[in-house]
Amino acid sequence: MPSICFYFQVHQPLRMRRLSIFEDNNGDAYKLYFNEKLNREVFEKVARKCYLPTNSIMLDLINRFDGKFKISYSLTGVFLDQCNEFNPKVLESFEELAKTGCVDFLDETYDHSLCSLFQDKTEFKEQVALHTKALKKYFKCKPVVFRNTEALFTNEIAKLVEEMGYKGMVTEGFERILGWRSPNYLYRVKGCSTLKAFLRNYRLSDDVAYRFSARWWSEYPLTADKYAAWLSRSEGQLLNIFMDYETFGEHQWEDTGIFEFLKRMPEEILKYNNLNFKTPSELVALEPVGEIDVPTPLSWADMERDASAWLGNEMQRVCFRMLGGLEPMVREADDEQLTRIWRMLQNSDQLYYLCTKSWADGDVHKYFSPFDTPYDGFINFMNVLQDFRHRLKQKLKIEERR
Amino acid sequence: MLGWEFPPFKSGGLGVHCYELTSAFARKGIEVDFYMPRTEFEMKGTTPRLIQVMPVHFGPYTAREAYGSDFMSHVLQYNIKCAEEVEKNNREKRYDLIHNHDWLTVRAAVLAKQKIKRPHVFTVHSTEYDRSGMGPNQQILDIERIGVHSADRVITVSHMMKKQLTDKFGADCNRIRVVYNGVDPDKFKKKWEVRKYSKEKVVLFLGRMAEQKGPVQFLQAAQKVLSVVKNVRFVMAGGGDMLPYLINYSIQLGISDRVTFLGYLPESQLQEAYAKSDVYVLPSVSEPFGITALEAMASGTPIILSKTSGVSEITPHCLKVDFWDVNKMAEYIIALLKYRVLNHTMGMNEVEDARKFSWDRAADETLSVYRELV
Repeated sequence: MPSICFYFQVHQPLRMRRLSIFEDNNGDAYKLYFNEKLNREVFEKVARKCYLPTNSIMLDLINRFDGKFKISYSLTGVFLDQCNEFNPKVLESFEELAKTGCVDFLDETYDHSLCSLFQDKTEFKEQVALHTKALKKYFKCKPVVFRNTEALFTNEIAKLVEEMGYKGMVTEGFERILGWRSPNYLYRVKGCSTLKAFLRNYRLSDDVAYRFSARWWSEYPLTADKYAAWLSRSEGQLLNIFMDYETFGEHQWEDTGIFEFLKRMPEEILKYNNLNFKTPSELVALEPVGEIDVPTPLSWADMERDASAWLGNEMQRVCFRMLGGLEPMVREADDEQLTRIWRMLQNSDQLYYLCTKSWADGDVHKYFSPFDTPYDGFINFMNVLQDFRHRLKQKLKIEERR
Repeated sequence: MLGWEFPPFKSGGLGVHCYELTSAFARKGIEVDFYMPRTEFEMKGTTPRLIQVMPVHFGPYTAREAYGSDFMSHVLQYNIKCAEEVEKNNREKRYDLIHNHDWLTVRAAVLAKQKIKRPHVFTVHSTEYDRSGMGPNQQILDIERIGVHSADRVITVSHMMKKQLTDKFGADCNRIRVVYNGVDPDKFKKKWEVRKYSKEKVVLFLGRMAEQKGPVQFLQAAQKVLSVVKNVRFVMAGGGDMLPYLINYSIQLGISDRVTFLGYLPESQLQEAYAKSDVYVLPSVSEPFGITALEAMASGTPIILSKTSGVSEITPHCLKVDFWDVNKMAEYIIALLKYRVLNHTMGMNEVEDARKFSWDRAADETLSVYRELV
């Protein structure tokens, strides 16, 4: 009897401003580096199209099914900050959901960053701690399952996460690591003793997230009863349906019928005796059936499902090395605002915009990017990083003189 | 096919286009008679068969003065003669279709169509609006208008050009097809295969020295760049009536020791010029396509393109600027000189991307336009 495990990733990037080397670049670094106007506009738009209506539907569903419909989220710290800054109503609606007791939250890095790939893991631990603190403050919860940025996963990261006290971790159910095995079970991880891996069933997830409105798809249109029938025919302990929350109303617009689909889905699913809804915190008690071995990065991004969306070309790797290389200076400067900005620059989206892959995924990168081309993105990111390094140096010089 | 330039007698993209297109046709077994003005040399045994109708003096693209009344009457005579020749040869050849390039041969095509009753395809490489900085010549505009309206199909080299024809000439967009220019990627030496003799970085401008190609903006950007980086040479290749002015202007800007004017570059030196440059800039105010950008791409030389160029429609592997945004142009140049990783990543991706734009593809697309008519 498979349990359905719904998990939604909630995040909005902090888009950068164009920084010109021919301009006077003094003044507040946050205002200089980040495009507050654009970030506010996008946030307001997505709040209107997705967050607020979807949260309201979720709340209705939870109330209607009296504890039988359960979901889980992870909200990045960057997202929470934007809620506070741009539209506190969004945060309130998540708080409402948290109070129902049918909503589970996962932990992740506060800044949606790739710092799990830094040599030194101090930064990773600090960013996770910040996130834990924020969840406690807003939702009064302490997650036991972890979700790294874009489901990025290796044996090494899993080990670290286990040591930090988590019982489970989320990643992609990709053939490269599974072989013939099914993603519908929990797995142990090589090198870890107790941590269990939740593997995304990407077919069932993408049926909704990507293919829902695809007219070329032979199953179009997808209806709630058809989807429920597919789920009920699936084998295994659990069905991990993981996707971006923006699927509802933003990636799939309202006129595709996505909200109607969502409203109908729980009752169609609960018509089947062999299906129920559970959260990752409940499901982590299940017995794993085998072990996965992930020596190189695995993620849920792009066709390759590795780290190439952010670190696939040399421009991205140069920027990433430079970001990591700033750590000693940031720590030495020990300045609250500079540390905050360094972390915002670590948003994985900043590197995502520099991706030069030319096939279908390239279109997705382009769709989300505020830059004309990845090269343009690189130049701007370098300008920002150099300006930031200059600020760090100045700060340290002043300290020295004292 | 009615044309004007054909290598080695050419001064711009038009000649390259006609040569490459007819060569690709020949490989596909399509026979072309190419009509063009007589030059000093008789060309024989070429593919396609060149029919040199009569001499027309003055090169139309190199100097504006050539557009005198004398020139216009020469063009008219050429067109009439050309149409007569087409009619004469048609008795034996039985042409399927008439295809002409740009305004210079519009009247010949229109006349020939009346005489031999075959469909007419008109390729617009540029219009008088693109070529004239100051004020367009009304006579030429009228000829272009006739061509656009009377041809059975109009081919443009970019969507930008298509839009111009519908906006400014009121052309019927259902009869316009876009066929991008091409490049032969293997013909060009790659940047990383060429030895440079100097440590100096090179930024290249290659085109006619005329207002609409943006040489002034190029020099202004050069000055900005030199205020930040020192060891850079700005090379300007191409002839044109603005050349003396530009030399003076570079002195005025105080950068004359950093700017080299090469004049018109023969084909044989083109490849070296691209491959030895670190950045290629196409700052055109108005550029229907911009073949040179494709050639730079094929050489792996990073390109900065004006947003008002047709070529900027087709490749993501470039940096785009508004032609008037000199600051940004300078910033992009500096970045490409400063970050080797950026320069190299772009260059590699450009070479790959340029392969998509072969002349074979352009020929196939042109053929499918023909097939709509015959």
